[in-house]
Amino acid sequence: MTLRELLGAIAAGALALAALPWLASDFLLSLALTCLMYIGLAVTWAMFSGATNYLSLATSAFFGIGAYVTAWGFGSLPYALVVPLGGLAAAAFAALVGAGILHLRGAYFAVLTFGLGELVRHAITYSEKTYAHTVGRVLQDAPESSVVYWTVLLVAAAAVAACAAVRASRLGLALAGIGADEERAQTLGVDTRAAKITAFAIAAFFAGALGAAVAVRWTYIEPASVFNPFIGFQTVLIAMIGGAQTLAGPMISAVVFSLLTELLRLQFPYAYLIVLGVLLIVLVLYLPGGLASLVGRWRRVRA
Amino acid sequence: MPEPVLCARGIEVRFGGLVAVDGVDLDACAGEFVGVIGPNGAGKTTFFHTLSGVIVPTAGKLMVGGDDLTGCAPHAFARHGVARTFQMPRVFRDMSAEANVRFGLEFAGRARRHAHEAFDDARAILAFLGLEDSAALPAGGLTPARQRLLEIGMALGARPRVLLLDEVAAGLTHAEVDATAQLIRRVRDELGLAVIWIEHAVRVLMNHVDRVAVLHQGRKIADGDPRAVARDAAVVEAYLGEEGEPVKRAA
Repeated sequence: MTLRELLGAIAAGALALAALPWLASDFLLSLALTCLMYIGLAVTWAMFSGATNYLSLATSAFFGIGAYVTAWGFGSLPYALVVPLGGLAAAAFAALVGAGILHLRGAYFAVLTFGLGELVRHAITYSEKTYAHTVGRVLQDAPESSVVYWTVLLVAAAAVAACAAVRASRLGLALAGIGADEERAQTLGVDTRAAKITAFAIAAFFAGALGAAVAVRWTYIEPASVFNPFIGFQTVLIAMIGGAQTLAGPMISAVVFSLLTELLRLQFPYAYLIVLGVLLIVLVLYLPGGLASLVGRWRRVRA
Repeated sequence: MPEPVLCARGIEVRFGGLVAVDGVDLDACAGEFVGVIGPNGAGKTTFFHTLSGVIVPTAGKLMVGGDDLTGCAPHAFARHGVARTFQMPRVFRDMSAEANVRFGLEFAGRARRHAHEAFDDARAILAFLGLEDSAALPAGGLTPARQRLLEIGMALGARPRVLLLDEVAAGLTHAEVDATAQLIRRVRDELGLAVIWIEHAVRVLMNHVDRVAVLHQGRKIADGDPRAVARDAAVVEAYLGEEGEPVKRAA
């Protein structure tokens, strides 16, 4: 499939999904919104971390920054402006921090990106207490759930389209080269530092925009809830289970994972985390290439 | 005397107290085929790393095409036309052989054209190296000898002005080495490249290069016509006890 066809398919898919608020119940709509959110988070995570093998746990930090842009700006600024602003704030933060830590690899990088979320959370808690004399913020006049859904749909579709475009571009090739052998890529003329910072910031933009878009669903925003490390972990798991080297893998996995979580939570409210954990272990052990690798296996079996 | 395209002056590399490369000068002009030899541990590979920006020398100066690149990152060297191979092939294993060659064309070689049009195409480069039947195969599945050739192809994809070859003959049979050397001479002639070839096995190199530099314990002890260098007392001394007197046989 050429990039043009792929972008067309993404647009068509998004248009079809835009009809959902008229067709589905509130419960289904909120479930669909969760799916879309994780699609956006997982594809952009895979775009950077899947290609380069730099395991980033910073998704929660970017997501939380976006949510806080909403907490501060919503009310005085229109929703349509707050969402891209949240993305830009997260991207700027990622570019700044990335310039400082993207020379680290492996466990060091993973631990540091995890620490970022904690750092930002505590920084915001402190500044809110000291300067605004508050521990959390109440959002009033939240937009209707259909508006939130369309916004998240738009951001998620843009995220998938951006990832498709990056994969087809020189940046995508550079990222793949970095993942395969960073020094070799450098000796073939790739400015690996610039490529990594760019991709890290693009991924952060979409995580931030999604955080900003979703935050209006919560009437009360506090650091502990929006800088939730589980959002980061779930994003990593979804992308890896789906197949972080592919575009479709994390998308399918985001839907499966979100539905499964919801189903288990409703059916087995006490045991659902146990079941989920066992499923994860089994998948990682027996399907290391992710769900996307099933397609390849199936093709080989048929051939 | 033409202007050298690569010019290294007083290159020194220290690892803590150890001086691996000690004040080495080396020039290479367009169209020149230069060999660098030396016994094990002479600092050849470390010196080579500095020429491609992989290691920043602790002292000295590196000029490429008249620009001072001392202290620059490897990608700056690559973009100025310095392309290299690695001793152990470092191909992108999951990419096809053709994509491996195209990688350099997309990045380091983007702003330049080769003197010879045929080398501006990944397929043509593979065909030149005799790898056209492997174009679509993942590079990691090729035999070590073919990966070594592909390394040269990746470097040629970067549209180099200076080609650095790090022991490309290691592990090859005599016939294969001669064939590889012939290939390199052809590229050099058709593209007017400066080629610097490091080799541990002296005999291989002496028959093919225009000029040879000898490193010993981090220092350059000789630099000149291969025949003259082979008779140099210091060079014979450096190699005694290592390979007998291979230099004499080569000359």
